[in-house]
Amino acid sequence: MGAIDELLHQPPYATQPGQYGGLLRAAVREAISYHCEHCPVFERWYVKQGLDPEAEIQDLGQVPFLPVSIFKRMDLKSVGEEDVVRVLKSSATSSQIPSRVVLDRVTRDRQMRCLGALLSALMGPARRPFIVLDAAPAPGSSLELSARVAGMRGYLMMATETHYALEARAGELHLDVGKLESILAALQEPVCLIGYTYVLHQHVLTPLARAGRRVRLPGGSMVMHFGGWKRLERRSVDRAKLNAEVAEVFEMAEPCVRDVYGFTEHLGIIYPDDGQGVRLAPAYAEVIVRDPVTLKPLPPGVPGLLEFITPLPTSYPGIALLLDDMGQIISRDEGKDGLYGARFEVLGRALGTDIRGCGDTLPEQIYHVQASQTGL
Amino acid sequence: MKIFVLFGRNGAQIKPGGEPESSPAEVDLDQLLNELRAGQQRLRAASVDDLIGLCDAAGQEWAQPRNEVARMVGSLNAGFLLLWLRRENLEAALTQALRGDRCVLDAFLRQAPGSKRWHRAQPRGLLVHWVAGNVPLLGMISVIQGLLTKNANLVKVSRQNAGILPYFLQALSNARFRRPDGEEVTGTLLTDAARAIYADQEDGEAATALSTAADVRIAWGGREAVEAIMNLPRRFGTEDIVFGPKTSFVVVGAEKLGDETSARHVASLVARDTLALGQRGCNSPHTVFVERGGKLAPVDFAQLLAQELGRAAPQTPQDLTPNEAFQILGCRAEYDMRGEAWYGKGVSWSVFYSDEDRGLATPCYGRTLFVRAVEDVFDVAKLCSVGTQTAGLSLDERRLALAEALTARGIERCPEVGRMALYDAPWDGMYPIDRMVRWVSA
Repeated sequence: MGAIDELLHQPPYATQPGQYGGLLRAAVREAISYHCEHCPVFERWYVKQGLDPEAEIQDLGQVPFLPVSIFKRMDLKSVGEEDVVRVLKSSATSSQIPSRVVLDRVTRDRQMRCLGALLSALMGPARRPFIVLDAAPAPGSSLELSARVAGMRGYLMMATETHYALEARAGELHLDVGKLESILAALQEPVCLIGYTYVLHQHVLTPLARAGRRVRLPGGSMVMHFGGWKRLERRSVDRAKLNAEVAEVFEMAEPCVRDVYGFTEHLGIIYPDDGQGVRLAPAYAEVIVRDPVTLKPLPPGVPGLLEFITPLPTSYPGIALLLDDMGQIISRDEGKDGLYGARFEVLGRALGTDIRGCGDTLPEQIYHVQASQTGL
Repeated sequence: MKIFVLFGRNGAQIKPGGEPESSPAEVDLDQLLNELRAGQQRLRAASVDDLIGLCDAAGQEWAQPRNEVARMVGSLNAGFLLLWLRRENLEAALTQALRGDRCVLDAFLRQAPGSKRWHRAQPRGLLVHWVAGNVPLLGMISVIQGLLTKNANLVKVSRQNAGILPYFLQALSNARFRRPDGEEVTGTLLTDAARAIYADQEDGEAATALSTAADVRIAWGGREAVEAIMNLPRRFGTEDIVFGPKTSFVVVGAEKLGDETSARHVASLVARDTLALGQRGCNSPHTVFVERGGKLAPVDFAQLLAQELGRAAPQTPQDLTPNEAFQILGCRAEYDMRGEAWYGKGVSWSVFYSDEDRGLATPCYGRTLFVRAVEDVFDVAKLCSVGTQTAGLSLDERRLALAEALTARGIERCPEVGRMALYDAPWDGMYPIDRMVRWVSA
């Protein structure tokens, strides 16, 4: 058994400081070596970074990283076309160009294994009914799936049964309150409400609150949402407010609301929060925060660009990926509730300058004046 | 309508890093305009040379080591402002824009020696400036031109960096200039005719009020912002001066690639143009077109350019958003995989080349250049449009012929490479100072 498979057979979270660090480094080295062998452009890039693909990794912070946008720019594969079982496309929110990653059977199986382990850690081993806060998907191509549908389907492995609470009418989502109430009445057991964060707020909580309706969830139920906060920020809704609204509308005495972070290029690895925005890196991945200008790893408490490292994918070289999301490390291996690893926060999308002015203007003499003359 | 006065009759009401909403709110725009008109009357009575003297004194003062304003200028990578304020520069700019004699701002002058016709440049009245948040000091350029032409100036700043322009107006108000006759004039002569304000982007009433009050609307910024301003209602006869988003490039002819020494010299000039203004100006190059057929191939020139940019880049501070850094990293990875990429540590500078690439590159900013091969420098003409501004040329005999071809298709400036960032006139197809006055005759 190679290091990657050995790693994937471990429990999802470390119970001792540094428990899986060595194994993860070995697995990442194994993955790099594999992709250098099977993806020539990746090897070209890796070698240009001045590193030997076979070299031992002492520090994951030293592993060369690719910006995740590379999957929008290049068609990167480490398998032949005949081995591709699925093509994932991410949402194209910022650049209008979706990223494209191909999955082979091995990658897909590894993703499912990881996701299963992480969901079990989050929800407990017993499966339960899932109520999807979305409309039922229309039948589509099995090869090209949108990341949204693919992501949702992965979670449903924990479902004993699946219900869709919303309907799509004329392109708009509508909550069928009666249907939701009758589903809950029929189930009478803890459920998991799952959906995109903005759908939860905009199409579920807001209409229920506006109508003064309350829908009591059975004790032990969980509300799981994902997809980011951009649309809610425009409505001045933060995590505390959303959680409070969930607790009120669903009459949850002990609200269990989990915001799950993840991204298409590392499907299978999810980072649920603790209800307050703090997330824990599992055994199968590491998180690093980098200074956007120097690109050096930053210490806890300093915001920067988020980088995630995992050896999971075999079909595409998405090992160390830098995201355009900002975040910060809260602590490393300090331990909380008996679990160790990097705890971090996601602070939202890295902002650019949308408005660009025309040129600053310069006098002709500028090139003839020494800095010392200006005191600058 | 809610207007926050960031620089008013009591000076700056906001710190450089402050929130604009913490400043006093003023809903009575008429009161604000009356103050400005009173200030403008004193300005009109002053001589243009006194006004230039004040600007020059401010520029000299701010250039002193350990001066607080100098530190602010340094942190904003805006040393150009100090030099732009110099007497020689302002005198030349005014003279050039005002038919050869800046004193037409003070009195009627003969249109030509011995002519019986007299002409004069009257201020247009109220200039309203909309300044982009990422380059707040642009506002100082247009405000000072507005003050030198004796107009009243109302500057609407962006929420981002809202306190920067008020800071510099405050500093300008502290300037002292002693005239040749010994009398001292103070900077308030200038700044009493200027106000900096902030209004929320969603405050349509405020935006409309500002627009309809203006005799000249001056808009800096990206396309969306500029279009939104231009679509506001305005009075008949209002003049518009738009400094919208444009991109610029360099063209290097094969004749400049005869040997490494001369090619390296060209590369060093391109690097200089790139570093000026942090590559944020619309006159900053992003694409470098290199003609094939020289002794050095385009890829070789790209390598020299990388060396020169790498040599010069660390000398100036980098101002980059995380998102821009991310875009640069994407380009680096792409060109490392499918072309050639040269770059420094961190995201300090980058040069990219691929033999397959054609056309204008999408600007990446952050001292990033895309080198692209062309068979013939005249092939570049078809890439020009109203969205292109400056073409820095490195050619011998063909220079004017190419300038003719490029300007016919939309390019507005064709300086030699190394001089792209110089402020000169015309700019964006006009003499801005000329647009701030009314020409009258007697």
